[in-house]
Amino acid sequence: MRIVILVLLIVGGVTFEEVPPQTSKITWTHNNAQSADRQLPETVGAGCAFLDYDNDGWMDVYFVNSGPSDFFAPITPLKNALYRNNGNGTFTDVTDRAGVAGGKFGMGVAAADFDADGFVDLYVTNYGANILYRNNGNGTFTDVTDKAGVASPGWSTCATWFDFDNDGKLDLFVSSFVFYDKSQNPLCTDATLQRRYYCVPRLFKPTPSRLYRNTGNGTFADVSRESGIADHPGKSFGAVATDVNNDGLMDLFVANDTMPNFLFVNKGGGKFEEIGLGAGVAYGEAGRPRSGMGVDAADYDGDGWQDLFVANIDHEFFSLYHNDKELIFTDQPGEIAPSTHLLSGWGLKFFDYDNDGDPDLFLVNGHPDDMIESRIPRVRHREPLLLFENTGRGFKDVSANSGAVFGKIFSGRGMAVGDFDNDGDADVLTSNNGEPPLLLRNQGGNKNNWVGLSLVATKSNSAAVGAVITWQVGAVKRTRLRTGGGSYLSSHDPREILGAGAATKVDSIEIRWPSGATDRLTNVPLNKYIKVVEGAGQSR
Amino acid sequence: MALVVVQPVYAQADVARLEQIATLIRDNKIIQAEKDLSTVLRANPNQPIALNLLGTIRAKQNRLAEAETLFTKAVDQQPRYSGARMNLAFLYLQKREPAKAVVQLKEVLLLEPTNTEVMVVLGDAHLATGALEEAERQYLDALEGRLDNAGALLGLAQISRAKGEIKETTLYLTRVGTLITDSKSPEFLYKFASIALQVGMNDAAKAALENALKLRPNEPAYLLALGVAWLRKGDLFEAEKVFRHLIQLQPASEPAQVHLGYVLLNQKKYDEAQLWLEKSARSASPMPEVFYYLGLVAQEQNDDAKAIQLFEKAVQKLPNYAHARIALGSSYIKLRNYPRAKEELETAVKLDPEEPKAHYNLALLYARLKDTARAQEEMRLVEKLKAKGAGGDGVVVLPPNPNPR
Repeated sequence: MRIVILVLLIVGGVTFEEVPPQTSKITWTHNNAQSADRQLPETVGAGCAFLDYDNDGWMDVYFVNSGPSDFFAPITPLKNALYRNNGNGTFTDVTDRAGVAGGKFGMGVAAADFDADGFVDLYVTNYGANILYRNNGNGTFTDVTDKAGVASPGWSTCATWFDFDNDGKLDLFVSSFVFYDKSQNPLCTDATLQRRYYCVPRLFKPTPSRLYRNTGNGTFADVSRESGIADHPGKSFGAVATDVNNDGLMDLFVANDTMPNFLFVNKGGGKFEEIGLGAGVAYGEAGRPRSGMGVDAADYDGDGWQDLFVANIDHEFFSLYHNDKELIFTDQPGEIAPSTHLLSGWGLKFFDYDNDGDPDLFLVNGHPDDMIESRIPRVRHREPLLLFENTGRGFKDVSANSGAVFGKIFSGRGMAVGDFDNDGDADVLTSNNGEPPLLLRNQGGNKNNWVGLSLVATKSNSAAVGAVITWQVGAVKRTRLRTGGGSYLSSHDPREILGAGAATKVDSIEIRWPSGATDRLTNVPLNKYIKVVEGAGQSR
Repeated sequence: MALVVVQPVYAQADVARLEQIATLIRDNKIIQAEKDLSTVLRANPNQPIALNLLGTIRAKQNRLAEAETLFTKAVDQQPRYSGARMNLAFLYLQKREPAKAVVQLKEVLLLEPTNTEVMVVLGDAHLATGALEEAERQYLDALEGRLDNAGALLGLAQISRAKGEIKETTLYLTRVGTLITDSKSPEFLYKFASIALQVGMNDAAKAALENALKLRPNEPAYLLALGVAWLRKGDLFEAEKVFRHLIQLQPASEPAQVHLGYVLLNQKKYDEAQLWLEKSARSASPMPEVFYYLGLVAQEQNDDAKAIQLFEKAVQKLPNYAHARIALGSSYIKLRNYPRAKEELETAVKLDPEEPKAHYNLALLYARLKDTARAQEEMRLVEKLKAKGAGGDGVVVLPPNPNPR
């Protein structure tokens, strides 16, 4: 009997457990600046990030907050927050010392080492001009936005670092939402409520997103026009850089709210072609645009082609676009559809929470309209998190068995994945609109074996976006493309955890870098993070 | 079937006995009523009231031919017996023979020229024959200048609806809605709801059906209509609840199976939707929608070859089924058989030029064929049609009023 119980314990479900602020010492709370006028930017923020800003091997966290704008003057100053991971389960607020408080009406964050100096930098998007914080390497950052030329005024949402021209430098895509200022806030009211509610984005004009090419000298060139990106004004939220046609050039999938989504296929030579309609990812049934918010990409069924995911608003169902090759996708949400029928999704990511080798899916939800419950039956403002396990052919909703936190409701927005306790399984950080963030510790994901990789590019872009990692465990060969961006307003732990299941050995790991170089690793130690330097292979 | 006893004059004792029998019938004590009636009819086989009462019992038992014979015999025995004529008229309406009902009702109206109830029923009978003007005259006569006769107003609403006058229909129905809040007639509430559903007055229909179900709980036709009202309101969850209740009462009911399948399909609960739709497909003469919905399930399960077979079946049953044609086009697009897709979609557009889904699939097709201009043109049409509120393929199959009176 004891053996049976032990076996059950070993194979028992993985859970996510809340790390309370008393434990983590993360006491920061998002202020959504909610006003009687219900200005739209109040309800869409904000994001969060896992990043190791001090290169101590522990994932730190960053949160974005609201701030002064044309419609909001905070009574007391609001700050973004950088918390240093103390390596013992607690965090210390180092925002002021680091100089990354923001001070604008913040939306999202994208962390990456844009200047390849070995220290991760921060790009913070805002309603208003964005901020590029360059990491000085000594625990402080410098605002280099103006010098870099990436302020991108207007209303930016998600930012995505990737290398569109494969020149080894990280370029930047900045999603732009609608044209907005406080005078553009139409009166959206409900006669029975006698109050304003947040207007649907359908009422606002779209704006083109921006693409910045990294020149390599600390500046960026706005190539939105010549790349073709600016030809397509949208109401863009989530964006993910991935390679949908396996041609080695990173494409962009961009979710639009109340407009067709964009699939920008990278044609090479700095040009993109938008093919969302023909690819079948632009619209829902009957040509109805949906309210796309969070996105991600992964090869969930292991067929070698990148599939796409979009979280939409309630009653629209979320989309899981299976890549049928030749730039054609079919929406096959399977069990995800009924589970998300009444939900509105934002932060999300495909990741292998149980280290069995395949990508699972975590979703963060919350309705943007805080008065929705009085207007639409059964739809709630605060909504539950969802976890789907990959069954090989689709996804199964395992939320109910994955921890008490899945029984709670939140005003979820951003979501980042990272192993903050370095125990080899991916934890989750969510940022909630007008609420404290949520740090979730993965309990039990590391019961399966794993190998953690820190990729250090030497010729390729510093984030190794576009790298293809292949690992062989017995007869099973798995492949993962390193995507850029994804989720919603958030940024993930840059390390890769490769799940090995119950196998006691990973036979080989191969990394095909965006530069074309390949590193092949053998005799890889299990259950450890290893550093892999491009061209030099493994360095433990 | 109404129980109209009054009129021919007989001895007080006979009348008392027949009224007792009528009470038994009202109380649904049919065996005792039949026993008593056979005693009466043994003594006097042509007793018109007894014949009329026995006809009522047979109608209740759905033995309509026998009921007709009995009512006719009663009328033959006593031509001025308007109660029997009314019952005969109701019977003809139930049998969908309104012209015969008109004949009887005109006779009744000659006997009772101020009876507004008869005028309304005569209006209904005329309406059923398509004689809108005659129907309208009867309803207006019944109203006598006052707007308090719900039956007449409902008739006028139906006439407006038949003429395509939606605004007028809505006005009449709104007025009827205010008159029937305390109605004790589930049949009338159902009739009102059925018409209200046709003009999109879904809340009014729902309220009427809920009241009808209070008066006659578990009546399958009312439940089906209530489920449809919830569907029309876009509340799939409430619709599902109602259809599940209906399925519990009538597990073999095809409309219940189709509607439950449909509502589950729209919630993307494909496995269970398939289960109910397949049950329905096994009925003697399945509705074409069943194959269409099963095809959609197959499409969602990525089995387009099977989906095409099912859509073809739907089209065989109903060649003008535009949605099935669109679905065929969509499956052929998925299978990358673009010429066949084009053929089906163009047929669909001919059948229903206002359906955005057809134009969207054409846009998708042209985009695949790299004909950007035509793709954009089709998408512009989609936008235009959606702005007009076109589109939708919801099944709405309401059964006739189960007990018209």
